[in-house]
Amino acid sequence: MENRILAKNLADLYCKAAERYSALPAFATRKSELDWDPVSFGELYDRGLNLATGLIELGVGARDHVGLFGDNRFEWILADYGVQLCGAADVPRGRDVTDAELIYIINHAEIKIAFLETTVLLGRVLKLKKELPKLKEIVLLDSDFKAGDQYRTIDEIEHIGKNLREKGDRRAEDRIEGIRPGDLFTLIYTSGTTGKPKGVMLTHENMMSQIRGITVELSCTDRVLSILPVWHIFERVFEIFTISCGVCTYYSNVRHLANDLKNVEPTFMGSAPRLWESLYLKIRKNVKQAHPMRQILFHTAYFLSRQYRSSAYFLTGKKLYLEPPSTVKRILLTPFHALRWLLVLPIYGFFNVAVLEPVRMSAGGSLKATISGGGALPVEIDRFFNYIGIPVLEGYGMTETSPVIAVRLEENIIIGTVGPTLQDTEVRITDIETGEIIYPNPALPHQGRGVKGEIRVKGPQVMKGYYRDPEQTKSTIQNGWLRTGDLGMITFNDCIKILGRSKSTIVLLSGENLEPEPIEMRLTQSPFIEHCMVVGQDQKHIGALIVPNIEGFRDDGFKVDSLQELAKDSEAKSIIHDEIKRMISVENGYKRFELIHDFRLIGECFSNGEELTGLLKMKRHVITDKYEKLIDEIYHHETSEES
Amino acid sequence: MEFTSQLLYPLDQVLLAVMIFSIMFGMGSSLTVDDFKTVARYPRGILIGFLSQFGLMPFFAYGLAVFFSLDPAYAISLILIGCLPGGTTSNMFAYFARGSVALSIAMTTASSVMALLMMPFLLEFYTTGFVDEISAELQASGAGIEFVIPTGNIIASLVLVLVPVLLGMFLRHKSPAWAKTAEDTAGFMGIIVIIYLIGTAVIRHTGLFLQTPTEIYVSAICVGLLGFLFGYWMSRLFKLSPIFQRAISLETGIQNGPIAFAIILLSFSEPYQSQMLWLAILYSTFIVISSSFVTLYYRKVGKFDYEVFQNTTIHNRLFGEEYVSKYPEGYLPDRIKNDPSQGSNPGQIRKAAEKAKPV
Repeated sequence: MENRILAKNLADLYCKAAERYSALPAFATRKSELDWDPVSFGELYDRGLNLATGLIELGVGARDHVGLFGDNRFEWILADYGVQLCGAADVPRGRDVTDAELIYIINHAEIKIAFLETTVLLGRVLKLKKELPKLKEIVLLDSDFKAGDQYRTIDEIEHIGKNLREKGDRRAEDRIEGIRPGDLFTLIYTSGTTGKPKGVMLTHENMMSQIRGITVELSCTDRVLSILPVWHIFERVFEIFTISCGVCTYYSNVRHLANDLKNVEPTFMGSAPRLWESLYLKIRKNVKQAHPMRQILFHTAYFLSRQYRSSAYFLTGKKLYLEPPSTVKRILLTPFHALRWLLVLPIYGFFNVAVLEPVRMSAGGSLKATISGGGALPVEIDRFFNYIGIPVLEGYGMTETSPVIAVRLEENIIIGTVGPTLQDTEVRITDIETGEIIYPNPALPHQGRGVKGEIRVKGPQVMKGYYRDPEQTKSTIQNGWLRTGDLGMITFNDCIKILGRSKSTIVLLSGENLEPEPIEMRLTQSPFIEHCMVVGQDQKHIGALIVPNIEGFRDDGFKVDSLQELAKDSEAKSIIHDEIKRMISVENGYKRFELIHDFRLIGECFSNGEELTGLLKMKRHVITDKYEKLIDEIYHHETSEES
Repeated sequence: MEFTSQLLYPLDQVLLAVMIFSIMFGMGSSLTVDDFKTVARYPRGILIGFLSQFGLMPFFAYGLAVFFSLDPAYAISLILIGCLPGGTTSNMFAYFARGSVALSIAMTTASSVMALLMMPFLLEFYTTGFVDEISAELQASGAGIEFVIPTGNIIASLVLVLVPVLLGMFLRHKSPAWAKTAEDTAGFMGIIVIIYLIGTAVIRHTGLFLQTPTEIYVSAICVGLLGFLFGYWMSRLFKLSPIFQRAISLETGIQNGPIAFAIILLSFSEPYQSQMLWLAILYSTFIVISSSFVTLYYRKVGKFDYEVFQNTTIHNRLFGEEYVSKYPEGYLPDRIKNDPSQGSNPGQIRKAAEKAKPV
């Protein structure tokens, strides 16, 4: 059954959702464990129209940029409704935005009106007021506070709009009529390599193509629990998608997650890999603490499920094929897998029911599926959830592609891949050095499947460009093809497998993006550090590989013969530890996730042509491959400490 | 068909006894005193369940036995199976069939107690003809003894199997975690022993499967299926809600097999024992398969109604008892929209009706 609403633009979607789902709850906010506040689609739309009218009255023009700084709460969505319904675009960012970013974003996006979530944020912006010449109005989202001299509240503006609409003001409707597919609905600033944030321009058409292309089946009877920051494009598309399906989104947070899972019993959930990892560790811990007999039962169940599913995957062709599948092998192995499937089925059936179901209950019990995005999900966790019967769908994308490029749905779960591309989306794999097309390339065997290269994308979800930055736009989008900066290959069952980054941006498990260069540059300023490479793609924290500067240590009175010896010296290690602590700290303006948690010293200098390019830039993928063991050590050391 | 050798070797009998003990222990481990109180909460469901469990099932068993003119030993075994109370397996199936687990547990509890009273009576009532047949046979062969249903032994066996149940309940009371483990272990052992018994039967008495007449297979399969079907229609006739219909249906068809084994082993002697056991084994095997299919079917059929029911329930849980979920026009099919018992929360419908009334 096709339940989704397809619309011309976001405002149109909001309007149609209000018509179709009117009295059903659209968003619910937690007051206490068993007391939630629902707001219906109809009410949300009406209030959105009031707010939009109020915004127009305050002077917000069509296609203007309105700031929206804050995290998940109902008023955030209301503000978004208001902005969309008056034909403007919002510029969202979370509470953790730094002062420098605030100044840059507000000035660069020419924001005249900004919504601020909390009084803390309000205080910061008021302090920076002098540096924000264009900012005229500030609107506080937190309705617990009364309006002041220097700011208004969202209630107040809604009220202004309400009065006007009661008198017959229909300017909002005219604005909605006037929205063109190429107009922006949002302008999202992501941190750039040069340190300056880049404004990603996403249009209504971008978003509508996502709603058309994502084929997850949801309906009015589904429930979604939301814990990711709403300004993150992954969560944003998720919430818009749920609106189009008439699904109620329940706002939770990490602290209340365990309880909310139990009370809301979500049927679908999106999250960053970090959540799946913590849920995974929790389940493992519970198993470890259970009675020995229960442990045996769980391990037996897991073992049987693995046997059963791997045979099922084989028989249905859902295995990961990085090499061309051999017909002979397939014919030979089919009877084996068919037999194993048949034999394991009844016993697996029992264990699935008796042992795995209670485990699933700990994740709410009603979850039909979950979707992971915003970073790569570690394969063992991916496997674990699929084997215990909670299908994890994995998405792949980036802010610049609003964000979904490919998604692995329930019908094509191939563990280790991010699934096939969305409809109307084309993907190319190109050579990292030469830029030549590897896939699809008729000259190569199997069109170039199974060969690693940089992923490029062309499709309706690709952004309009970076705001007021034609140069960056040009280098990122060439002839409609967007360079993702990710390394990957096309498998033999036409799915995308991600293999790392060609660009230096590191995406942490939590979904935070960070640029390693500024940190590395800061660290190499130390006399004790020669080279430094920050690592941590898909990890919880960042770590660093460091080549100590032997001269620096000698100047400090250190008697040492070789770099190798120095790298093993524990005193040297503690000196560098202190250096890192001193240089990269919150006090020095670094964000918490930019702090280096662990590092390893390398006793060999990076050499030109091998680890370094002609321009002495680090070849990250070469270094990553070469020191794979050391990097693993940083993170394995960490996990063993935790458990 | 006659058994030339004993169906079960002494070792098997010991195994079977261990299995009966552990399954009944597992059943006890899943029960609490509160479950007995739940019985009072569903008087209608329990009553209808009682009628289908002790009214319909023995009758079907008898009907099948007469229809196929089964050998008297098989007939008695089939009727015995028909008269059994429900087991814990049905609770698990009810859960996955999106039926009411609470009612399923309550029915299991009530029927286990009622069985002490009902089983001897029902057996007496339905088996008289077959008992006479055996007696006549014995007389003809000049054995000079009469065959009687050992009522006293049957009651003793029933009481005996209730001992591990009580032990299990005691464990549950002391340590719920261990009790859960015991329950799962018992379920697993049950499967293993059934597979073992069938496996050894295949090896030792290969001919047995071929010799067993088709009507025995048909009766062993049909007695459960008829229970599912009529349990469903009966509760539907009495306008119970779908989650109760599914629970009663499964509870009616799925009987407590281990009790049958215990009674047969303790109360009957050769040559009838082997024949009776064979039918009980066949029933236990096929019921697992057929209830799996029925459960999958119910799960699919009940999916939409259940999701509406669940979503509505959660709305009331989080937004307050007064909250009324209003689904879009045409979203709910007529069967749910117009019948409060069909999935959507009855409380909500009632409240909506009250609200609609002019004050």
